[in-house]
Amino acid sequence: MSFLELKNVCAGYGALKVLNNVSLRVDPGEIVVLIGPNGAGKTTVLKSVFKLVDVYSGKICFQEKDVRALHTHDLIQLGMSLVPQGRQVFGSLTVRENLEMGAYLTQDNDVVQERIASTLLQFPELKPKMKDYAFALSGGQQQMLAMGRALMQDPKLLLLDEPSLGLAPKMMQTVLNRIKKINEQGTSVLMVEQNARQAVKLADRIYVLEDGKVALHGGKDILSRKEIQHIYLGGR
Amino acid sequence: MSSILAQLLLNGLIAGAIYALVAAGFSLICSVMKFMHFAHGGVVAAGAYFLFMFSQWFSPVPAILLALVTTVLFGVFMDWSVYKQLRKRHASNAVLLIASIGLMILTTNLILIGFGADVKTIPLAQHNPVYTILGARITLIQVVIIATSALLFGLLYYLMKCTRLGKALRAVADNNAIAQTVGINPSRMYLATFILGSALGGIAGMLIGLEQNLYPSMGLSLVIKGFTGAVIGGVTSVHGSILGALVLGMVENLGIWYLPSGYKDAIAFVLLFVFLLLKPEGILGKRFERG
Ligand SMILES: Nc1ncnc2c1ncn2[C@@H]1O[C@H](COP(=O)(O)OP(=O)(O)OP(=O)(O)O)[C@@H](O)[C@H]1O
Ligand SMILES: [Mg+2]
Repeated sequence: MSFLELKNVCAGYGALKVLNNVSLRVDPGEIVVLIGPNGAGKTTVLKSVFKLVDVYSGKICFQEKDVRALHTHDLIQLGMSLVPQGRQVFGSLTVRENLEMGAYLTQDNDVVQERIASTLLQFPELKPKMKDYAFALSGGQQQMLAMGRALMQDPKLLLLDEPSLGLAPKMMQTVLNRIKKINEQGTSVLMVEQNARQAVKLADRIYVLEDGKVALHGGKDILSRKEIQHIYLGGR
Repeated sequence: MSSILAQLLLNGLIAGAIYALVAAGFSLICSVMKFMHFAHGGVVAAGAYFLFMFSQWFSPVPAILLALVTTVLFGVFMDWSVYKQLRKRHASNAVLLIASIGLMILTTNLILIGFGADVKTIPLAQHNPVYTILGARITLIQVVIIATSALLFGLLYYLMKCTRLGKALRAVADNNAIAQTVGINPSRMYLATFILGSALGGIAGMLIGLEQNLYPSMGLSLVIKGFTGAVIGGVTSVHGSILGALVLGMVENLGIWYLPSGYKDAIAFVLLFVFLLLKPEGILGKRFERG
């Protein structure tokens, strides 16, 4: 059984079609990495799952359930969380409030506070910042917060859009290690990464997106192919 | 302190409190909905006229409650009948702004048709004793205006900072798409915004109606004052708007210490332009950059 499955998805922004028959899947427990050049449509793939773009045709299923008919705000109930590109935290809310909003659907405040405590175990750097406004965090801290917020609803599948974007190498490694840990605790991961070299070390499978189409997919070994090397790994 | 200065300060506080109630609703709606709901002035006027209407038939308490409920329904109906339909068609914020001006004019005309052009007085406030503080005169109604505003601002602060609804409203105002991904239903938040904003506007209208005469275009002048206050304080910051509107009320009233009282509105516009040119984000408003 596949967990998340996209079948021949065409999607875009109004009249601008970006994705052309994209098919991909994530199986339970996997880390799947999506790579490709700027503007290939990687973000659009994640957004199409979350209905943040127009999906014209194709099938998007999560745990065999068609999610295309659902609203964005219903998806998290199924067990999917999104960490959007560009560290999009709620800047005018405090760190604590950001985390609380991650568990918005959990009415029981005790459960929310428990989740905050366990999220802080995974992201201890947020602990001294709980009362600060999120806009005042550093880029790396904002990325941690965005990930922490996504974990607050205890998702079965985490979608991450370039979590290491713009981070210093050391911070990047930290973020990737956290993702690995999250995965080891049972959450499946679909991750977009520019920084393919680092990301593919974690990957169970890789999809290469080019110009709105899946150009290649397979295990880590596809990265040894010459044509991929210099385009996606900056080997030139 | 001279009693004239005390009187002007007090008048400024009263005017500022009213403007601030108008500004709070206006800026709450603006921050969540991302457009300027100028028809909020129509909602304010509706509050005054509904209270006028119901107080002919009922005793004060039911009249006030009925007027509040009808005004909120009126505000929600504006959103449902016009803005929501435009949102469904992906209308730009400029289109929504123009629609709101249209709704403002429509409301003024509906009042004109329903109640006539002559000024009206709400009959609730017959008995209005006068008190003296530091040589300044204040009526019971004015005390009620200040106390009600202070209470409402306290409640609004608590709601926005401490409740799940308030935090969700701020999250939507901050980043609507991301708010949806954490499970916040935007339609519900829009509804809550119009309920809260219209309640604040309606209460402002009722308080003004108790203090001053009612006339059909009263909403327009009030929303301009509310808007100016909001710009001074920061349009998308509810607290900033309240502060800005209080400043506006004070400046207007202290200004007529030097200038003839006919210059009141001119003072407001000069302040508006100064802030639009020099500090468009207002005193407390922040511009959040998005990545
Ligand atoms: N909001 C938008 N409105 C219109 N077109 C958009 C929008 N966002 C992206 N696009 C277009 O869709 C195409 C794919 O964009 P997308 O963001 O999915 O690329 P990406 O692979 O994530 O790139 P990057 O690596 O730079 O993040 C681009 O050509 C872009 O111009
Ligand atoms: Mg992208």
